[in-house]
Amino acid sequence: MYKKLCGLVLFSLLSVALAQTEVIWWDFLGGGDGVRMRAMIEEFNQSHPDIQITPTTLEWGETYYTRVQTAAAVGQGPDIMTYHLSRYPLAVEQGVLRPFSEDELASAGISRDTFTSSLIEAATFDDQLYGIPLDIHALILYYNRDILREVGLLAEDGTPQGIDSLEGFNAALQTVSEAGYLPLSFQTDNQSATVWRIFMTYLNQQGGSVVDGEEIAAGEAAVQTVEMMANWVEQGYARSNVEYEASVALFASGDTAFHYNGVWEVPTFTDLAEEEDFFDWGAMVVPALFDQPATWADSHTFAIPAGDISDEKLAAVLEVIAWMNENSLQWAGAGHVPAYLPVVESEAYQSLEPNATYAELINNAAYDPNSPLAGVAGPMYAASANFIAPSVNGQLPPNQAVQGFVEELNAQMR
Amino acid sequence: MTSGRQKRKWRMWRNAFVLVAPFTLLYLLFFIYPTWRVLQLSLYDAQLIGGEQTFIGLENYRDIWEDPLFWRSVRNTLYFVLLTVIPNTALGLVFALMVVRLKRLRSMVLAAFFLPYILPVSVVTLIFQWIFDSQFGVAQIAFQTFFDENIAVFANPNWAMPMIAFVTIWWTVGFNMLLFIAGLQGIGKDYYDAADLDGANNLQKFLYITWPLLWPITTLVLTLQLILQLKIFDQVFLLTGGGPFNSTIVVLLYMYRQAFTRFDGGYSSTIAVALFVLILVAAIFQVRVLRSGRST
Repeated sequence: MYKKLCGLVLFSLLSVALAQTEVIWWDFLGGGDGVRMRAMIEEFNQSHPDIQITPTTLEWGETYYTRVQTAAAVGQGPDIMTYHLSRYPLAVEQGVLRPFSEDELASAGISRDTFTSSLIEAATFDDQLYGIPLDIHALILYYNRDILREVGLLAEDGTPQGIDSLEGFNAALQTVSEAGYLPLSFQTDNQSATVWRIFMTYLNQQGGSVVDGEEIAAGEAAVQTVEMMANWVEQGYARSNVEYEASVALFASGDTAFHYNGVWEVPTFTDLAEEEDFFDWGAMVVPALFDQPATWADSHTFAIPAGDISDEKLAAVLEVIAWMNENSLQWAGAGHVPAYLPVVESEAYQSLEPNATYAELINNAAYDPNSPLAGVAGPMYAASANFIAPSVNGQLPPNQAVQGFVEELNAQMR
Repeated sequence: MTSGRQKRKWRMWRNAFVLVAPFTLLYLLFFIYPTWRVLQLSLYDAQLIGGEQTFIGLENYRDIWEDPLFWRSVRNTLYFVLLTVIPNTALGLVFALMVVRLKRLRSMVLAAFFLPYILPVSVVTLIFQWIFDSQFGVAQIAFQTFFDENIAVFANPNWAMPMIAFVTIWWTVGFNMLLFIAGLQGIGKDYYDAADLDGANNLQKFLYITWPLLWPITTLVLTLQLILQLKIFDQVFLLTGGGPFNSTIVVLLYMYRQAFTRFDGGYSSTIAVALFVLILVAAIFQVRVLRSGRST
């Protein structure tokens, strides 16, 4: 009798296991946001006994995209993967992504109107939608209120004051410098992606661009943007050759007034502030130092690699995508701005700090250009690291850096 | 009689074939077939994996001929060869000559010199990234003394390549030293005894006995070094990524960029074939020069 009962229990467990659809998930979220994503996956798995997400986190950047491309080409890719929106032009050209049909979206209750429209547009090629956005992430300016208060740069409302022009910002940096603090930290080494993000931000604030039709071109605005960054290093406002982690640590140490980085470091400082005696920190939209407000931004999306996928698996993947977006308030805790409008409009999100202080950046987001050379760890990032970052470190005159950047990319347009 | 002989001969061939078959098959599969595919792919406009392939004849070769970045990578590779091949060989010889003089400490010193060679390249580059770190690296003390400033060597176009060469020599000199020690031990003691009788000094013994008798080993080391250093990739990829502004881009790194960031299978194969030709020409040239050096 006992044996029989055991067998029955085992059988029923087994049949549950058999009915489960496994979804192989790849992402590149290795930082503080990765921890939050894992928690969301865990929660999804528990609330969906019929679907089991098996997540793997790979190294961000070139490693990730090389692996995705090769794995997908031989049919060994994941069922669902995170993908930067900036890489879509390249991915679609190379046939890496599988588009979603109207019926598929409808069956999962996913509607284009419920997402930020600019993201949906950027993910659409020839009327086909190649991925579903999860968030917008952008460059922001972190600041140390304690230092700014001490040197008289903090307004009544607790935000920095007098940094609404390049002269004003440089003067503020000078003031901080004279008080004996490091004015600014950002990744300045020759692998720097931050340099590219700052470059794109201030280029767009001057109405400039790096593409002209099919060609790569950059004018005086680009040179001025590089000169601005090189000047920060030359004046000693920011240190040269600072690695990514070191740039974060310089700000976290409490001796640095400003820090340029993406929203994804918000959880790092939030967690630090909870754990120990941390300084009073804030984050804001990148100040408009030129004619118009603009902020470099990109988006994490969900995509399916090209190739065959069973209906059952596809349904499970769509279910995952829908659930992740509906629950993206948690994801916003990682600093990101959700792409799913019902969450953005919810009261809970509107009052989430520090996201609320930079929520407006969505209106002036400057995405990487629509070019197969663009995108995370793509040729433009590489050319920026190759020419612009050394120029910021004072090793190449800015006009030569911009010229080298343009020539290198045009050579790749073959 | 004849048929028996033929049978035996056939059996011999059959046995020989069975014995070499495993190696031959693996060799064909893993060496000849990929090489053939690379040659083939270099004639196509093709993605690395998947996608359509269009036959374009020699167009990739025409492009590469006119590609300034390719030629820059060739120049940088030759610069790296210049910085490593002869210094690495000479240093290996010097260390070998010093180590063989030791008696009790010999194995310990030998191990100490050989130790870096067993490290993986990623560990070696990490060590030197720390040593040369522009803020906290211990080497900055030396730079402060001699140049009055911190130098981010791997981010500096003048320093980067010589420093990659330095790291490479530190890493691999132990192997050359070992080859030279083997060579030195193969030289009979009689020669030196005879030289002593003739009243030869140490310099004369080195110039007229050690050096000529060591020449075959030296040739071997130089040739191995040349081929190895022309294939430079790992250290550059890990330390500078080809930057700053392409001052350290080498042929294999350029091939890697074409293959794995642009996924251009055709063009990257063409670069691979070009490097193959470069190595072949350089190796033949070197063997010729070294042979003529021996006869004089």
